[in-house]
Amino acid sequence: MSTMDLQEFLASEATHDRDDLVDLRALDFVSSYDSHLMCPICHCPFVEPVRLQCDHVFCYKCLQSAITIFRSADTDEFPCPSCRTPTSRVSTSVPRLLINMCDEIQVQCPLQAEGCAEVLPRGHVQSHVDKYCGYRLVPCPDDSCEKTIRKKDLQSEERCLHGYFRCSRCEEDVMEKDYEEHDEELCPSLETSCVDCGTTLPQRELKKHVDTCPDVVSPCSASKYGCPVKIRRADSAIHEQICPLVSMGPYFEAQNTRLNSLELTMRHLQQRNEIFEDGMANIRTTLLESARAGRGSNRRRSLTEDDMNPTRSEDDESAERSSNVFSSNATTYLLSLHESLREEVNQVSHALTDLDARASMTIMNECLRIKEDMAHTNAAVNSVRLQVQWLMNPRLHNGARTGGIRSNTATPGNETARSQLTSTSAPGSSSAAGSSLGPLRPRRPSDSGREGTKL
Amino acid sequence: MGSQKRIAKELSELVESPPAGISVELADEANLYEWKVHMKGPEGSPYQGGVFLLKLSLPTAYPFKPPTVSFATKIYHPNVTNDEKGSMCLGMLRADEWKPSSKISAVLQFARQLLAEPMPDDAIEGRIAEQYRNDRQRYDEVAREWTRKHAAHQ
Repeated sequence: MSTMDLQEFLASEATHDRDDLVDLRALDFVSSYDSHLMCPICHCPFVEPVRLQCDHVFCYKCLQSAITIFRSADTDEFPCPSCRTPTSRVSTSVPRLLINMCDEIQVQCPLQAEGCAEVLPRGHVQSHVDKYCGYRLVPCPDDSCEKTIRKKDLQSEERCLHGYFRCSRCEEDVMEKDYEEHDEELCPSLETSCVDCGTTLPQRELKKHVDTCPDVVSPCSASKYGCPVKIRRADSAIHEQICPLVSMGPYFEAQNTRLNSLELTMRHLQQRNEIFEDGMANIRTTLLESARAGRGSNRRRSLTEDDMNPTRSEDDESAERSSNVFSSNATTYLLSLHESLREEVNQVSHALTDLDARASMTIMNECLRIKEDMAHTNAAVNSVRLQVQWLMNPRLHNGARTGGIRSNTATPGNETARSQLTSTSAPGSSSAAGSSLGPLRPRRPSDSGREGTKL
Repeated sequence: MGSQKRIAKELSELVESPPAGISVELADEANLYEWKVHMKGPEGSPYQGGVFLLKLSLPTAYPFKPPTVSFATKIYHPNVTNDEKGSMCLGMLRADEWKPSSKISAVLQFARQLLAEPMPDDAIEGRIAEQYRNDRQRYDEVAREWTRKHAAHQ
């Protein structure tokens, strides 16, 4: 069953938290672990994680105590300890991944205090303690004996090792399980001598002795500054008073630290210098590029479009050469090339817009001039036409008169023709004249218009 | 039982890598539930230069119940009672606001933040809150004066 309500959950028992099992929360963790693997309640990696409806995960046991404390008696809900979402169901199915990650964390064997140095994944601790760890205390195989014994001391012989032995040398009673250790190290009768002073002393005190033995020969404390003297510990005080290197020691120390810090600064400066040099090289390449590009574009302007490509490739070659000289960095080189090309394109487009503006200006100027000219010409033509009409009028009159004579009509005379010239007051005569003189209608000189020109 | 383990863990974390301006120790080596906290007044606040002693006590039901924090050093602050107790009003420490996932280090950092930016809307000392709102300069002066008098660094 993967989900249950609170009652069931409280009634159920966590499998990992029984007393006879290793307490996984008390373990020493060797490495740090991801904080997401930490139960928000006990701050340990999850032990038997369970999940709430709001997707928050807790240890089984932690959640049980949280529910007992937070649940209000009359409801079947309790607030999630992380987000306070009311929750009534607990799911025991959490991603396998989470459990594996928690079980993988490296821990010390819980019997570290007894001497086990084993480091193992948390998931294996239980079986290690149960089966393999030699430092676990197990009850003595002899039923009459009530003591416990380390598993590794038990070895294969299944018998009580709690009987006392009398050490043959020191006459001390030693329990059988400790006898080996006693025999090899702890027995006071075991003696050894200090290599330096020749004193004989019990073996277990040797270590302490060597640290204080006045006869141990050790190098002078200023040996790292070159003092060759090796001297007995007892005499070292006298030597240190006369040894010039010892008195110089602090000074050397200070110098050393200064040197170190200076070196550090040097390295910083070198790095910065390198950066600047790189930058310089870049700038130089870019400059060279743009200079070449300027030349190239000048040339290009004089060339036709078909010649563009050869120029470009020539540019590339020379740029390559310069790149070998100034910068080994291909990317930087490409970037600078790109930059210079962009510059060039910009220049060209500027020139284009310039030209465009200039051309349109000229065209406008030209237009204006032409318009003016046309107006002048129009006026001239008009005046010429007027003159022509004025000049034409007498001839028209003559023509009318001769026409009238030729057709022998009674009414038209010099007078009527003149009266028609000045006014068309007499409709009868005018209509008669109109019908007879159709194409040669007389006009007043002030008459303007194109009808006149259609003459 | 579980609470002790968690408290010990949080304590060792706080001792090993203390948050800025905060140092923590047990008031009594034998008792995990009473802590002494030294908090430096945050820079830029009128409490700058002072070191305040806080008492933090943890309930046995920790982390299910919130810890309580009080100022042992007198402090002029709208959110700290101006009496012997020096109780502090921290929103996250109220029983209904507390979450077991909150850590003590977060509580302490929050407390220090409160020194830098008092919350006059949540004040216990209404008079100081009033002053903080209306006469900031005077408030700064008094707080600085109190810091000098009570929390000067020995």
